[in-house]
Amino acid sequence: MLRVTYRPSTSHWLFPPIIMGILGILIVIMLIQRAVRCAKEKKPFFNLKGYRFFIENWDKTRLFGTLVLMILYFPAMELIGFLPASIIFIFLFNVLFVGLHQFKSIPVAFKTKQFWSNPDFRSLIISLAIAVISSTLIWFLFGKVFKITLP
Amino acid sequence: MGVLSFGIPQLIMSVIGVVIGIIFGALPGMTATMAIAIFLPLTYAYDLNTSLYLLLGLYVGGISGGLIPAILINIPGTPSSICTGFDGHPMARRGEGVRALRIGIVASLFGGLISLACLFFFTPPLARVAINFSAVEKFLLIVFALTIIAALSKGDMIKGVFIGFVGVLISLIGQFADNNKMRMVPSMFRVDLRMGFQLLPVLIGLFALVQIFQEAEAGMKEEHHMADLSKQSRGFNFREDFKGQWFNVLRSGIIGTFVGVLPGVGGSAASLLSYSQAKSMSKHPDKFGTGLVDGLIASEGSNNGLTGGALIPLLSLGIPGDSTTAVLVGAFMLQGIQVGPLFITNNPTIWNTILFALLIANILMFVFMFYPIKHVVKIINFPKSRIFPVIILLCTVGSYATQNGNIFDVWTMLFFGIVGYFLAKFGFSIPSFLIGFILGSDLEKYFVDSIKGSGGDLSVFFSRPIGNVIWVLILVSLVYAFWDERRSKKKAQSEA
Repeated sequence: MLRVTYRPSTSHWLFPPIIMGILGILIVIMLIQRAVRCAKEKKPFFNLKGYRFFIENWDKTRLFGTLVLMILYFPAMELIGFLPASIIFIFLFNVLFVGLHQFKSIPVAFKTKQFWSNPDFRSLIISLAIAVISSTLIWFLFGKVFKITLP
Repeated sequence: MGVLSFGIPQLIMSVIGVVIGIIFGALPGMTATMAIAIFLPLTYAYDLNTSLYLLLGLYVGGISGGLIPAILINIPGTPSSICTGFDGHPMARRGEGVRALRIGIVASLFGGLISLACLFFFTPPLARVAINFSAVEKFLLIVFALTIIAALSKGDMIKGVFIGFVGVLISLIGQFADNNKMRMVPSMFRVDLRMGFQLLPVLIGLFALVQIFQEAEAGMKEEHHMADLSKQSRGFNFREDFKGQWFNVLRSGIIGTFVGVLPGVGGSAASLLSYSQAKSMSKHPDKFGTGLVDGLIASEGSNNGLTGGALIPLLSLGIPGDSTTAVLVGAFMLQGIQVGPLFITNNPTIWNTILFALLIANILMFVFMFYPIKHVVKIINFPKSRIFPVIILLCTVGSYATQNGNIFDVWTMLFFGIVGYFLAKFGFSIPSFLIGFILGSDLEKYFVDSIKGSGGDLSVFFSRPIGNVIWVLILVSLVYAFWDERRSKKKAQSEA
């Protein structure tokens, strides 16, 4: 009958190898399945032609912008505090998601002295308002009322 | 019978939960699972009973809100409303939008109530059976849950099992409770990963950040053409619209509940299965898809059936029925409450609260959606580009709070957000991964306990009668998986 050796001192390494073994077997099965399918359809095993990772017309700016802003946001919280960092970054996320072209409206708005009537500049003001209100509200509700630890 | 905690604060929590849930459900790209993952940290501030009103409200609201965009713009707000638009949208186009919405809301209410009844009747007996389970049966039960995930991951069984076991492996990272020794931890993370990856940041990463990355990739497009609700050719009439539909309502609710019970099977499966059943049993299947009430009721009745159904295995066996209840496990864990066979016996108040909170949530969902529907539909005009930044803020706060302020958890969230994004790209199921991750440490514990009891003899896994029954079930689900895969392949070949 099948047996395994159980010793308390090594019991933490009893189970992980079994799972790794199962995963190994599954990888082999998946590779064989692919090889069989490729042989049947007479396609090469590695077929990168026509493969697209991203969806059609994917938005490079927004996807990588989101990632970059997040990577900057988390250390910024520790550096300058939760509230200031959140206001800055929630504003930037808003601008990024609505469209970076809004920044171009800043000099235009100051030159023409039309602020609210300039739709792009208005959008920036809305972004700032959302950033200030939501950050302050969450800081107050979570941090002060519910006493949840904030950065 | 335990008592029940209910009062004004709980009612308010329920209202907040349902309303926010409806908003999340109604916005395509935001789901009930995401809502619960984000609001989970609030359970630190409240006791579990009060939090459950909020979380279950989010669940019911989140599943129900999905019908609004499905009917009005033909985009399901949540995956579980996938079939709602098939018949709902044609109705809206011919000027019966309000009627379609109200039929969907009523069907949702009944679906929710049917599944609540199933939860009430089936959970205690199932738990009573499971109470006698030894480590062997508990181990096999989790293996069974993992094989069901495989059997139902349509077409790609091996991929489904594989990613489930990857989840198991990742859950083993850190300290093993039996001998306090670490494994699979790189030395630079010795402190941070001592207890492994925390559930909450993993959840938030997998269910909120992945969604945000996908939406960002797609460019956060907002334009849609909403059906006009100002002129209505036909209104809602309960007696006429539900005449002859009661069997459909009951069947859909039960199908939804049943799909909910199966681990790792999402709401879209409930909607699809119920819709195809209604179609195949109908006298006029050709009319489905043209704006038939039957199809709308089948989809919406079934997806709210999920809510109670998915809680049955969670509260009786400790195995979450879908990704949303997997997130709910987080709420129980945060409060140190063990879900499993002893849950109802040990926590009668929480059990009563769950039943009552679900009932209240269903009623509130109906009240907040049925009457003011013409105003509620405006939710879908909320711009995503304004909401997602706030969600990122909430995600960060939630992850950070997991261990009372640890920036490592925030990085964990981002890491799993990126991992989940890649998993989705390569066609791996995120819920399967999550369920493996949640059940992984229990799987190990029961395995080691079984081995301990037998002194290393592996035949212990075949020594218990109920255990052998579970072995048979495991085999059946694997055979079914193979059969189903072959059949769908043949079908695909004959169609090609």
